[in-house]
Amino acid sequence: MKQLFLLIFVTIFLSSCEKDDICDVNTPTTPKVVIEFYDAANPTTLKNVTNLGVIAPGFTNGFEFTATSKIKVPLKTFEDTSVLYFIKNGSVAPTSDDNSDSVTFNYTRKTEYVSRACGYKTLFTLNSTNPITVTPDSNNWIQSVVVSQPNIENENETHIKIYF
Amino acid sequence: MKHILKYIFSLIFFLIFSTESNAQEQSKDTLKIPQRYGLRIGVDAHRLTKSLYDSNYKGLELVGDYRITKKFYAAGEIGNEEKITQDDNLNFTTKGTYFKVGFDYNSYENWLDMENMIFIGMRAGVGSFSQKLNTYNIYESGNYYGTNTYVSGQEFNGLSASWIEVVSGLKAEVLNNLYVGFSFRLSYLISNKEPEGFANLYIPGFNKTYEDSKFGAGFNYTLSYFIPFYKKIKVNKVNQ
Repeated sequence: MKQLFLLIFVTIFLSSCEKDDICDVNTPTTPKVVIEFYDAANPTTLKNVTNLGVIAPGFTNGFEFTATSKIKVPLKTFEDTSVLYFIKNGSVAPTSDDNSDSVTFNYTRKTEYVSRACGYKTLFTLNSTNPITVTPDSNNWIQSVVVSQPNIENENETHIKIYF
Repeated sequence: MKHILKYIFSLIFFLIFSTESNAQEQSKDTLKIPQRYGLRIGVDAHRLTKSLYDSNYKGLELVGDYRITKKFYAAGEIGNEEKITQDDNLNFTTKGTYFKVGFDYNSYENWLDMENMIFIGMRAGVGSFSQKLNTYNIYESGNYYGTNTYVSGQEFNGLSASWIEVVSGLKAEVLNNLYVGFSFRLSYLISNKEPEGFANLYIPGFNKTYEDSKFGAGFNYTLSYFIPFYKKIKVNKVNQ
């Protein structure tokens, strides 16, 4: 009986010191936009971008991809527009051969409750008119962009196809 | 501070409990011991002191029990809480009232006319409350653009929950008619009316809720006063 009470007290001490839950990596939170790259000459064939770098304007750190035709990049959860620079050859030195295309995402946002540990998440819906625009420059490497899933609610499906 | 207080309280009760059980010996004579029946009312010292040292908490719980038979007591608690919870990605204020009713069974065989209790019991509890979402973060793994915190202030009113509790604890008479006690509770949610777009992460009287689980836990330290109504004579049988 004494041991039982001791056990109860010890349990209470431990529980009062317990750290709050940490958001689990497997919990679906704010989704990133999933982009697949296709060969413009052969639109059904996936094609790897050579040393792709993606960075937001004004940022010093971005995302680097090598030998992949499918990437995930984050959108801003505090604005209805996100601009990302898609830089061919951008993930490696030198910078002289970099080809940067500015891609603008236009969308609406919806906030949804997730859990105590993760808080809330943002779901995006790409606009039906001008969902994605590639700013024209003298040397665009991106030829066209097609939205395949305007509702960005998870990362299990491809939302955007880029042809180059 | 919180932990020190808990430790001191627990130690005191543990000592009381230890000496009580040592003092218990079998009587060898037939004794006529008057058993007192009446109402015991008190307050939860834990919630009271926490209101003083924790600026995020205001709470009061009144407790009471009424002796029905030699071993059984009708028992209940009524309380009011206002608590601000700060989690990693959420900050919210819970405000509400709760009511618990049930019984305690005294498993302790008192020596002579002592009136201490080591009890187990059950309660049915209901709570009516509101949640106010103060601030929240949008969670995005990688957090590339920096933490996006929103100040909300959105209120979710008219929420309710009900639950059952298994109670275990003790009460010791420290001065004439004045009791100190401790109880530990394991609760199980029966119903929970959740807000749209948020969750009942804290329920007054039930305490913290856990995801994917209906269980909860709680405790109180009581300070109570016994008001005797009438006496019954109990004959202690010779033990040998």
